[in-house]
Parts: sequence; structure tokens; C-alpha cells
Amino acid sequence: MNLEQELKQLEDIAKKLESDELPLDEAIALFESGIALATLIRTALNEAKIRIETVVEKSRDSFTLEPFDLD
Amino acid sequence: MESRHVFTVSELNTAARTVLEQEFETIWVQGEVSELTRAPSGHLYFTLKDENSELSAVRFKSRTSLLAPLTIEPGTIVLAQGTLTVYEPRGRYQFVVSILQPLGEGAIQRAFDLMKRKLQKEGLFDPDAKSALPTIPRSIGIITSPQGAALRDIESVLERRWPHVRVFLFPSTVQGEAAPGELRKALHRAIRFSQSSHSLDLLILTRGGGSAEDLVAFNDEALARDLYACPIPVISAVGHEIDFSITDFVADRRAPTPSAAAELAVPNRAETLGTVSSILHRMQRQTGSLWKERFDEFRLRIDACLMRGPQRRFETYEQRLDFGLSSVLRHVSIRWKARQESSRHWSEILRLSNPKLPLQRGYSLTFRRGETHPLRSLAGLQVGESIETRLADGRLISHIEEVVPNEP
Repeated sequence: MNLEQELKQLEDIAKKLESDELPLDEAIALFESGIALATLIRTALNEAKIRIETVVEKSRDSFTLEPFDLD
Repeated sequence: MESRHVFTVSELNTAARTVLEQEFETIWVQGEVSELTRAPSGHLYFTLKDENSELSAVRFKSRTSLLAPLTIEPGTIVLAQGTLTVYEPRGRYQFVVSILQPLGEGAIQRAFDLMKRKLQKEGLFDPDAKSALPTIPRSIGIITSPQGAALRDIESVLERRWPHVRVFLFPSTVQGEAAPGELRKALHRAIRFSQSSHSLDLLILTRGGGSAEDLVAFNDEALARDLYACPIPVISAVGHEIDFSITDFVADRRAPTPSAAAELAVPNRAETLGTVSSILHRMQRQTGSLWKERFDEFRLRIDACLMRGPQRRFETYEQRLDFGLSSVLRHVSIRWKARQESSRHWSEILRLSNPKLPLQRGYSLTFRRGETHPLRSLAGLQVGESIETRLADGRLISHIEEVVPNEP
């Protein structure tokens, strides 16, 4: 699942919690998965360093990646 | 002969003017500037000439103000765009110039205008043909020079806004004769890479500012057609705000600068983190009543645990609290693992229930030596008796010098 889908799912969980009369166990499970998802998203977003890789085509359709350092 | 029409001079000049203006509506003329006069009014009078012929020309001040500063001198070869008309009071026909450029720039501009018109006619700029940019791209391909300022600008914006994205660089020269061909090759390489190796959500075709000549590679027709056919959404960001290139019109989006392209490409993580926080708040508010219910039950259980064994030793107090906590947790929900936000909730409860907390705030507990119940009253205490006082970081053993009850 990518970040966009994760954000969407988190929003869905919040909506479900708000709109439904859920049994306690289900509400707790939903809440718990929402927390886990939010943590995942935050961790991903706080990854501080961007990575740039140079794409080199060794032969047609055969690619290698080389880390690119600006400094 | 009676029927022949005799023009007045004014009539003839007016008629000639009408004919000229209709016949030569918007024309380009190339020539050398001579007899240049800058009138106090701001108008520019000059003659355009070649080896055999001369043409008088004027550029009015109102038009001048719309143009970039010019370095026109006698002898300059210029490319001028304008209309032909007759200055009726003098019966002189003249060229009214609207665009006036030294030849190098003018040639580029003219080629640009022609190319733009041609491709526009063919539909290469149609809004319907443009793809939407991805909301959150996972991977971005950048076609530019590895040495250029554009890449640095883009990197720093991405770093700040959305460092999560993977960036793949497809190097190419961005100016000079080889540039259009190299840019096309880099574009094709990016498309093959996306199809066979690692899917790209977005491409940025870019270079930093430069002279019109520096940017000319991005007006290449073949590059424009390749871009039009590109299956990946493309942002074109060439030069500064004022520079337009053909790729800007063909691409799915134009960005005025490389930095602006990066801003268009990714969301802002600060905003997204804010969104996540507000969703969490909504969830917590929603489950707040559930928490409250469970919390009360939890407190009762802890109290019961503590009441059960007052004779046990003080040192095991926390262990029993832990035991009580875990059993209550199991009771409330097996799946209710204390983790992330919720674990903070529980550790706060645990912290508040900790009997050592008052010690950290400066209160102390006093015991008769060897006893496990803290003293609650002076009753039974004797002068000279040994007592033990517990503080947050250790114990004091002392002897009672005096027993002083409160005034009644």
C-alpha cells in the first residue's frame, strides 16, 4: 500500500468511527489499526533524507542505479 | 474624359493608406538600422535599409514600454514586426513597428512563434490531451543536467516538502546543438525505465535560467512531439518566470521555475502531518467515551488489587500494580495492546498510580523500623525510638528527639 492509499484508509477509519454505532471490540480494533496506520505514515514522512539515483542504461532495457550526490 | 475621378491629395493619401494597411497587416522585416532618432516624446524614428533600398520606420512610445530594454544602434541588424501605413500629412509611407529585436533574438522568437502556431494548430497543446499530475507521486524522474542549478533547487524543495519520494535522474545536456537529441534520448530512456524497471509517476523536464539561445533546445519540434506522446505526466520548467518554451505548452503542466516544478510535484509533508494529527484527534474524541468507561473499570480493579494485600511488603507494591494492570488489560480486551498513542495513555495512568510519585514531589513516608505500614499518627511513638524515612532517592534512619502533637 502506498502513502496515498494509507492516508485514504486512515480517513476512512476516522469516518467509520464517527458514523457507525460499532460494538466496543470493533471500535477498539478500528482505533488500534488507525493508530498503527498513523504511526506508519508519520514515520514515512519523517524520513529526513531524500535519495537521488542516476539511471544508467547499460544496454537496451537493462538499467543500473548509481547514487547521486550533489555535494 | 468627363467621368475621370480627380483625387484631392488628402483623398489619395487616405486611399493609399487603406490599401497598404489591408495588404500588409502584420509583417516581419529584416534590415539594418540607420538615421536613428529618439524624439523627446519617446517615439523612436529610424530607417531600415539593405544594399538597395530604404524604409522609414517608427516605433511609438506606447509600444516601447511593453518591450524589454533594447540595444538598438545605427548599424544593428534587426528583425521588426509591424504594419505598413501612410503618414497622411506628408504623404510618406512608413513602417509602424511593434516588435523590434536585434537579429539573433528575433530569429529565435520568430522560430518560436511559428513552431508554437504550428503545433497549436495540430492540437499538441489541447487541454483535453493533458494528464492530471499524481496527488502523491512515489517516484519522480528528472531530465536535466547533473551539474545544473535546476537539480539543486528541486532537490532542496523535495527534501523540505516530501523527502519520502524516490528521485531518478536521467542526465542530459540542456543547451547547445546536441541538447535536443540528448533530451529526447533521456526522455525515451525514462519511459523505457518506467515500463521495464521501476514505474515512474511523474517526469520533470527542466533547466535553470539562461539567454534565449541557451533555452532554445526546449523549442525543438521532435522533442515536443515525443513529449506529447509520453505516457507519463510531465512538468516542464525551463528558465525563469518570463521564459516560455515549446515544451511548456506541450507538457501536462508548466512550472515557472525548477523550484516551482518541485512544489507542484509533491504535497507538503507539514500539511499532511497536520491532516494526520487532526484525523487522530477525531478518532480519539470519538473513542473518548469508550476510554472513559474502560478507565473507570480499570481504576476499580487496581484499587481492589491494592486493598487485597496490605500486609505485603512495600517493595513489591509496584510489581503487584503491574500484575493488576496486566490482568485488567487482559480483562478489558485481549487485543488492546498498549502501543503507540494508547500506550502513552496507560503509562500515564500507571504513573499517576505509582506510590513513589508523591516522594518525587517532596512528600515522604515514615515507618517504625522493621514495619511495612507507613506511619499515619504519632500514637505510640516514643522519644529515642528509631524510625525510617523514605525519600525519592533513599532512606533516612533517625531517632525521635521529641514528639509534638498539633495544637488542638
